[in-house]
Amino acid sequence: MTKPDDKELVRQVAGGDENAFLMLYDRYAAQVHALTLRILSDPMLAEEATQDTFLKLWSRARLYLAERGPVPVWLLTIARRTALDRLRLESRRPTLSTADDPDDLWRVIPDSKTTGEESRWRALYMAVQSLTPDHRQVIELAYYQGLSQSEIAETLGWPLGTVKTRMRAAMEQLRRVWGQP
Amino acid sequence: MQNDEHKIFEENIPAYSLGTLDAEETSALEIHLPTCASCRNELAACRQISDGLLMAAPPKAPPAALRQRLQRRLPSAQKTNRPPRNWSFDRLALGFAIIVLLALNLFSLSQMQSFRRQQAQLTHELQTSQTALAMLAYPGTQSLPISAANISGALLLDKDRSVAVLIIWDLPQLPDNRTYQAWLVDPQGNRTSAAMFDPDPDLPFTSVTIKSPNELSAFTSLGVTVEPAGGSRQPSGSRVFRIDF
Ligand SMILES: [Zn+2]
Repeated sequence: MTKPDDKELVRQVAGGDENAFLMLYDRYAAQVHALTLRILSDPMLAEEATQDTFLKLWSRARLYLAERGPVPVWLLTIARRTALDRLRLESRRPTLSTADDPDDLWRVIPDSKTTGEESRWRALYMAVQSLTPDHRQVIELAYYQGLSQSEIAETLGWPLGTVKTRMRAAMEQLRRVWGQP
Repeated sequence: MQNDEHKIFEENIPAYSLGTLDAEETSALEIHLPTCASCRNELAACRQISDGLLMAAPPKAPPAALRQRLQRRLPSAQKTNRPPRNWSFDRLALGFAIIVLLALNLFSLSQMQSFRRQQAQLTHELQTSQTALAMLAYPGTQSLPISAANISGALLLDKDRSVAVLIIWDLPQLPDNRTYQAWLVDPQGNRTSAAMFDPDPDLPFTSVTIKSPNELSAFTSLGVTVEPAGGSRQPSGSRVFRIDF
């Protein structure tokens, strides 16, 4: 018996199918939750952001366009925005990872089993860990704290040009280490 | 000249793909992107990384109670989203449009009563939304949903009567020197300006009457782009969305 694919499930969710919704939840809740936790670093807020993300899946499923990309990218993009909005709402100061321990934010204990699909993402995770602290920090503040380059410059007290150079170098390094599929 | 400019844009692409580029540079890059295949390729490569970063954190299951809580909340979320059984998708979109328009009418009316200022603007909005409401009563009105990241809404289209109204939610505000411009596209790909508009900062949605010089049936789609204030003769800025008839 083959499992229904993501796109088919989203189509069914758009038609109000709760079982299809729960199947997608079971497939992606752990990834959505990992991302919201990564951004909010607070279990309660992360759980709420995860809930909001899936409620948006329920109400926006009909807006999903298959040709614009895979379902998990769409869902996790919603999760990222939801968590970043929440972060702004809480008006919390950005977490400065190098201030204490640069590796701390990336030291999440993974859930037990790793599937074949996951290993590719794990490789990117390792690639981020292999960045120098400065490079990892610009990626961190940009992507998981939602700061603009000017805000990063202000937060870290670096010249804007330095932020830009390090951002480019960090992305270059990730491309080199992780490679293109 | 051209090449130096391109280099600056290209250097901004990694930051753009992470969503960290400052607003002004973002608008400039978005105008450059449709004109430059090399930058689009670079962006596609960077997107592999930025999309990958979404998945990179090791999965961590949320508390089991969340699944049950969501399950309990679905039916009530459903009431507002789900049409009666045998309604078609089109009907659902129409139903959605009716709710938007009723809200728009009520909102405009209450604003008109409480504020005298901007009356012309509000009267215009009210007329647009009443046109749209009236259109919904025609059996021939099509409702075509907008599909774009973070923007939703619909184009209400009556080809026979050459009437069209665009309803857009969550349209971002533009800087003062930019405006949204709608274009009707014919089968040969020619673009005809059909409206210029800016979102009302006080309303969560924007409604626009599409003015067509010819029969609407002469066109095959409608596009919206960001243009310099005052509009352009031909689309020059980044595309916001496009709806095929
Ligand atoms: Zn270019």
